[in-house]
Amino acid sequence: MDEVPYGALDLMVLKTLDGMGPLHGYGIARRIEQIAEGSLALNQGTIYPALLRLDQKGWIKSDWGMSENNRRARFYSITRAGKKQLALEADLWSRTVAMMSRLLEDPS
Amino acid sequence: MRALWSRVRALVSGRRLDHQLDEEVRAHLDALTDDYVRRGMTTEQARLAARRDFGGVTQMQDAYRERRGIPALETFAQDLRYALRALGRYRGFTAVAVLSLALGIGATTAVFSVMNAVVLRPLAAMDAGRLVVLSAFRNNQRFVLFNPEFEEIRVRQRSLSGMFAVSERPFLRVELPGAPASYVAASLVSGTYFEVLGITPAAGRLLGSGDDDVSGTDAPPCPAVISDGLWNQRFSRRAEALGSRLRLRDRDCVIVGVTPPGFRGHQAGSVPDVWMPLRPLTERRMLEHQTQAFFAGVMGRLNPGVTREQAQAELTAIYRQIQALEPPLPATFEAPPQPEELSLHVSDGAAGLGGLRRQFGQPLTMALAAVVLVLLIAAINVANLLLARGAARLPELATRAALGASRGRLARQLITEGSAIAVAGGVLGIVFAVTATPLIASAMTFQSGTSALDVSLDGRVLLASVAATMIAAIVVGVIPGMRLSGLHSSPSRAIGQRTMHAAGSQRVMRTLLLVQFALSLLLVTAAGLLLRTSIGLSGIELGFDSGRVVQLEVADESPGSNSVNVAESEATREQRAAIYRIADERVNAIPGVESASLSWYGLFSSNDLWTPLIDPLRPADRREARVNFVSTRYFDTVGMRLVRGRTFTHADGYRAPKVAVVNETLARARFGSRDPIGAQLTPDYPSRDDEPLTIVGVIHDARYNNLREAETGPMMWMPLPQAPYRIGSVDLRVSSGAEAEVARQAASVLGSVNPYFMVRRTTSLADQVQRTAARERLLFNVSAVFGTFALALAAIGLYGTLTYKVARRQREIGVRLALGAQRESVVALFIREALALAAVATLVGVPLALAAGSWLRAFLFGVEPQDPVTLIGACVVLAITVLLASCVPAMRASRVDSVIALRSE
Repeated sequence: MDEVPYGALDLMVLKTLDGMGPLHGYGIARRIEQIAEGSLALNQGTIYPALLRLDQKGWIKSDWGMSENNRRARFYSITRAGKKQLALEADLWSRTVAMMSRLLEDPS
Repeated sequence: MRALWSRVRALVSGRRLDHQLDEEVRAHLDALTDDYVRRGMTTEQARLAARRDFGGVTQMQDAYRERRGIPALETFAQDLRYALRALGRYRGFTAVAVLSLALGIGATTAVFSVMNAVVLRPLAAMDAGRLVVLSAFRNNQRFVLFNPEFEEIRVRQRSLSGMFAVSERPFLRVELPGAPASYVAASLVSGTYFEVLGITPAAGRLLGSGDDDVSGTDAPPCPAVISDGLWNQRFSRRAEALGSRLRLRDRDCVIVGVTPPGFRGHQAGSVPDVWMPLRPLTERRMLEHQTQAFFAGVMGRLNPGVTREQAQAELTAIYRQIQALEPPLPATFEAPPQPEELSLHVSDGAAGLGGLRRQFGQPLTMALAAVVLVLLIAAINVANLLLARGAARLPELATRAALGASRGRLARQLITEGSAIAVAGGVLGIVFAVTATPLIASAMTFQSGTSALDVSLDGRVLLASVAATMIAAIVVGVIPGMRLSGLHSSPSRAIGQRTMHAAGSQRVMRTLLLVQFALSLLLVTAAGLLLRTSIGLSGIELGFDSGRVVQLEVADESPGSNSVNVAESEATREQRAAIYRIADERVNAIPGVESASLSWYGLFSSNDLWTPLIDPLRPADRREARVNFVSTRYFDTVGMRLVRGRTFTHADGYRAPKVAVVNETLARARFGSRDPIGAQLTPDYPSRDDEPLTIVGVIHDARYNNLREAETGPMMWMPLPQAPYRIGSVDLRVSSGAEAEVARQAASVLGSVNPYFMVRRTTSLADQVQRTAARERLLFNVSAVFGTFALALAAIGLYGTLTYKVARRQREIGVRLALGAQRESVVALFIREALALAAVATLVGVPLALAAGSWLRAFLFGVEPQDPVTLIGACVVLAITVLLASCVPAMRASRVDSVIALRSE
């Protein structure tokens, strides 16, 4: 199992929130684990500093609400600035991936 | 930006945010656990699995917090909280530390704020930095500038954009409609005064060059400008004040304008209420006379681009040219000045004329040096105590180090503790300073109305106290911080061994104590020299008896000119003599008065008049002597002893033959072996009254105006009825305890004889004598108080250090005692160490003390700056202090119970 590459966690969180709507920390962690299908060693706790970082940058916001099991929980959602950032990073990411694949597949 | 704001916000609400994060994490873990339980785990297994999935909670929280806040500030806040807790635990220590720093910082601030008011604070003038003070010097002696010289220089010079002269009238009788006569402080100024200072009126107009005009014989009412204070006090700021008439002395004046509220005149320590033009109010003949009208001060404003040095070169050249052209001054004791002996100094005038500055500038600088020394000693003392306590805290610090605190972090912790003490001391010190400053200011008040000294806190004073606090913080915080943080290299050892040898720290402590004692020795020596000066000054044979003599500074404000140049009618003078005779009889009749007299000026009143006396047998001999006019009982009142002949009687009246009494010095100097009784002298007054006087008596020599005069000067007294002048002083010898009542009665008796007799000041002859040594007393008080304080601090420091050392070496002492050492030898062990310290401190301190002595030279009297007795005395005081401070800890050491000491480890 691999560590989460630096910067990737932010992108994952943004993508998750963009696709799933407001989620609490646990939900975000579960969703990322599901997508990774066990190929990531994610300490679930590490998403909290990431959430704070994204919040400080203004890409996500948080509100207190009630969770499924009726507990007070903090729900995070993506902001407009966050969506813009997501588009930007997703594009950058796919171009990097495409470039890397070409480079690695090139037999010469 | 957003991130920063969120961080700052987090700083404020840190605890709440921590709580939220906890809640969030708990919810997360619960949800995770529930999931595992649903998958069939037991609750316990599920909880463990959840923990594993989540990772380290504490690490995450730390990372989160670091991300959230501003770490440096948070650490500081934490350090501060910790420091305050630690200081709160040792209340006694903290109180002593804060208090001693507060005294040091407070004293520094107080002395500095007086110095600020006297020396540094610039005038409330436009671009004060370009103002200069012009002072004439002859052979490095201050000299006066006479009006014709002033006018000539003013016209010819090119360095200054303007020049003005001032003459002070600290007591000017003023009559306002509907109020009894009273005194105001007035300045007579040349017309350019306000223009040179760059002052704009708050109302009306200020004086201008046009007001200098003296050509018109039929003078209009003289224009007067009043201060904002007087405007407020007498006119409640009403506009009708402008144009009001007031009678100032014997002139009708009209108020033409008001100065702005911030304007406090041209000199620290005196704020005029009224400004009037100088030239129209001075006799024309005096103005034109070569050596009659001179000024309290002359100032100017430098032209752009001209330096003070350039201005001084030009003005001195002009001054010498004028002197060379003038007819020689009348011969005095000294030869007339040669032009090359004369110079016109151009000095910084930003703070205005410097009467008070000249008198107290240097003593204040010395006092400031003394209090800064005390501050250093206090700070070193606190640093030392912190070191001693810090050594005792080694296990605690070592434990923290072992738990992962970095060296820097520990040092920061100690520095924070030191700084917290210093800042607390600084705040308390400023409070001290605010109360102490008026006391210091009042120590210098008498000579001029120094209640006008503005000693309020300003930016410069606050800056000084912040600087003082920082010095304290650096000494108190950084020394122990550097010393101790290096000590935890082996935490386990430090924890285990309570008696670990902090050798480095010991050396620092010893050095600090040494510095403290050496500096104390300096202060104690200075105090000793000044004490001997005070004793020397009070041991001077005065030649009169100053006890129980009330002295009233009075003025005869009767209409008519007070100048000797104006011919008064015989009738006026005779009438005045008659009124003085009545006043003399009435004050002598006041109950409680043993003897009273009227005179032209009072003994030791800082008035002093010298007049050339011509011996008719040798007309070329025109040597000067002090002269005074006194009523018949003067010599009884002040207690001067008649040596030969007689004093004055009522027979020596206005029309009687002119007589005089001289002192022994004058008799010896002028007549040698000739019998002075019956000899004649003619005073050379500026205009008249040049009849020869017959000497009828000789009085024993005395001091007249100055304790420090190397030898008594020549003096001559003449009967008051024969005086061309008005009275200025009433002296009353009273039976003991009656002083206040007699002074009050005398004022009303004088007023009943003539409503124009006004009392300016009430004092005593003893006080007047004391006042002449005001600077010496100021310095003595400062050095005595702070020398004692410094020595006490050093003693506390030594006591604390030794106590700590005894505790540390308990085991060693126990072993020694167990092996048969005598208890006396244990005492000797510590005493010897303390005495060695005293010896080294003396070696270091004596050269410092010698240097301080020569710095004080100008203020010493009757004692050499390097007086060996004083120096040895100071060393003995130091040695005794060291012994006293060390004997209690040493005794404690000798009482160590060896069994307990050996078992304690």
